[in-house]
Amino acid sequence: MSASHLPFVPGSLVRRVAVGLIALALLATLASAVMHGAAAAGPARTFTIRSALTAAGDGPALAGDALPYAVQTVNLPDQWSHTRPGFAGTLWYRVGFVHPAEGAGDELLAVAIPQLCSNFEIYLNGALLENGGRMREPLTDNCYHPQLVPLPAQLLVAGTNTLDLRIAGHRREEVGSRWRAGGLAALTIGPYAELDPGYARRLAFGVGAPQGASATLLLLGGFMFVLGFIHRSESHLAYFGALAIGTAMLDARLWVRHVPFGHQVQEFVLLALLAFVVWAAVQFLLRYAGARIRWIDRALPLQCALVAFSMLLAGAQRLALVADFWYAVFALEVLAAAGYHLRRRGHSASGRLMAALLTAVALAIAVEFASQWSPERTPLVVVAPLVLPLVFALVGLRLVQQHGRALQHEQQGRVQLEQRVREATAEIERNFRQLAELQVEQVTERERKRIAADLHDDLGAKLLTIVHTSDSERISTLAREALEEMRLSVRGLTGRAVRLADALGDWRAETMSRLAQAGIDGEWQAPDDLPHALGSRAYVQTTRILREATSNIIKHSNATHCAVRCRIEDGDFQLVIQDNGDGIAPDVDSRPDRGHGLASMKARAKQLHGQCLVESGQGYGTVIRLTLALDRAADP
Amino acid sequence: MKTILLLEDLPEIRAWLRKLVQQVFPDAAISESSRVHDALELVKTVKFDLALVDLGLPDGSGVEVVTRLRDLQPDAQSVVVTIHDDDEHLFPALQAGAFGYILKEQARELIIEQLQRISQGEPPLSPSIARRVMAYFTEKARPSARNSPVPHVSLTDRETEVLLRVAKGYTLPEIGVQLGLSRHTIADYVKQIYRKLNVSSRAEAALEAQRLGLFG
Repeated sequence: MSASHLPFVPGSLVRRVAVGLIALALLATLASAVMHGAAAAGPARTFTIRSALTAAGDGPALAGDALPYAVQTVNLPDQWSHTRPGFAGTLWYRVGFVHPAEGAGDELLAVAIPQLCSNFEIYLNGALLENGGRMREPLTDNCYHPQLVPLPAQLLVAGTNTLDLRIAGHRREEVGSRWRAGGLAALTIGPYAELDPGYARRLAFGVGAPQGASATLLLLGGFMFVLGFIHRSESHLAYFGALAIGTAMLDARLWVRHVPFGHQVQEFVLLALLAFVVWAAVQFLLRYAGARIRWIDRALPLQCALVAFSMLLAGAQRLALVADFWYAVFALEVLAAAGYHLRRRGHSASGRLMAALLTAVALAIAVEFASQWSPERTPLVVVAPLVLPLVFALVGLRLVQQHGRALQHEQQGRVQLEQRVREATAEIERNFRQLAELQVEQVTERERKRIAADLHDDLGAKLLTIVHTSDSERISTLAREALEEMRLSVRGLTGRAVRLADALGDWRAETMSRLAQAGIDGEWQAPDDLPHALGSRAYVQTTRILREATSNIIKHSNATHCAVRCRIEDGDFQLVIQDNGDGIAPDVDSRPDRGHGLASMKARAKQLHGQCLVESGQGYGTVIRLTLALDRAADP
Repeated sequence: MKTILLLEDLPEIRAWLRKLVQQVFPDAAISESSRVHDALELVKTVKFDLALVDLGLPDGSGVEVVTRLRDLQPDAQSVVVTIHDDDEHLFPALQAGAFGYILKEQARELIIEQLQRISQGEPPLSPSIARRVMAYFTEKARPSARNSPVPHVSLTDRETEVLLRVAKGYTLPEIGVQLGLSRHTIADYVKQIYRKLNVSSRAEAALEAQRLGLFG
């Protein structure tokens, strides 16, 4: 943990310790529940036998006779590894007891054996009471099974009764756990009814619960594995599935009694399975924290192979040693992975939950470890293996919840993505349309230029030749005007709007220089900075009207002064051309050039949905008023 | 005595132009040509004082001749004589180094007057060309363009003022009155504007050529 996170340490430490304590309290509660029955049993008629005679031997039952073999007195619980180091096979135990309930009528007595390993036969006064299963390899495995054997009243005798137990078991060195090595716990004898509840609890917690847990984990694990397998980006789910399945199979040792293969194979399988579980656990912790470490990806399967190889190499006789070594290695690995996981995710809500659950798991494993030196299979030891399935179920729920949420987000994301795709498609279509329009515009522009070039080169050149070679001034002028018309028409094809301010500049320059050349005093009034625009057609037509009016003044009016006024009024563009010349004679319509000029000016204004008024009085000059609606004139 | 190049493909117009030129410059030696190719050859060998160049010619654009003259004979004055009055056609020729332009269909007297003005150093400038020149220099003055390695040629305030007024439609004599300057001073500003347009355009062209790897 880096220094910057230090301020958070106490808080998170307190939380973790608190969660650990809660887990411990849970364990204790469970354990006390297991113990409850035994504690409630009345002390008077129930007693525990804490020593026995033992004799090694494979012989038949010894109904009531003295033991024929070398006899040894041992304390119960007895571990073969302590009292008979290196011993494997079958061992006789004999205990004697006085009928505790003499005169208590026909109340059924029973003997409770909290733990024995691996299998047993029990005789009362020489008569076989019960047989736990196969007494030869492969032995039936009753190591995790509590036993409650009724003592039939007709077999009991007054005075001392003899209880013979024949136990078949394994050497400590050959097994991976102290609880699978040969041994016998202390026997409790008492009324069946009093012993039964405690037995039932032990059976429920020690065998029934692990069975249920195995089934649950198998289902959960299978489900998670498939989920993780489908969603490769959430590989931690697959590892969690593998972890749950592996743990379920590992837990099967608690309740599977009849294995079809030999003891050595069983031990081999258990350790290999543990290696696999550790692999899954470490990878789950890393992947869940979002880390993917290549060398660990390769090292863990390799370790599985190494575990198997080391067992083969060491042989059955040193299996405990090899197993202890690997337990230590596994514990360190899982601890390191857990540390890594918490360091990366410890500060999130889900990280805190993981911290709590990992603490519980650590405690359960610690209890399992510590129990290896415990003489008895205490209630705490019995319930500790249940913590793992419990924790896994919680983690599984949490993972499913997260996965569901991720799916939901994905769904939302997809909806958003679809929305975005739709928008993008619309945008592309819009762009495409614009592009198409642009292309049409470009093609039009190209065509216009081609037509313009043709007109200039051909028609223009011919008109120009007429302008400069004709002897008739009138024809020259007509040709020149035709040329101007042609150019204006060509320009009209461009279709581009013209800023009114620019148009005024063009008109002013042309009109004023023409008037100046003709010796007429010109006056121009126009507002500055006009933001308006004129459509190209309006520009061309207005140019023609102004040009025509100027020509008329220059040619026919004899004016000495000409004023041109432009203004914008109520959205209208107004152009007033006033001269102080002769005015227009009433018979002007009969004169071909002038009459035609005035009519064409009016016609042009009409084309633009405007108005061209001519006011004239002979001797008072002429006023030409052109009015155009700007909103219409702005269209190309 | 002046040497004058006349580049025009239409024979009638060429004859008409020649008469005009002879009227303005009675002692001038006039070389005539109807194709860009021939004109380029002439420019190599003959030294010209004035060149009247048509733009649309059968084998190319008169702009090539304007450019070549500017390169080989910086003192020669190119004048575009054209039927096109729009700045789309005229601006490239002005950028290439032409000092003004004359529209062919104008009346004889007007053209004579313009020719005389041009020969006296008074090139014409229309409002639309003025706007185009202003837009060109404004574009170059933009911050993004300022970092370009082209030697930055900018207009003086007076030159900009003249351009602005021309764009608004004022004639050169009017501007002279408004600014309290002589007609010749205003004409000098216009000439200076044409020159800067050419210099700036050439620098730009050189840079573009360099960018395209034409000069290694």
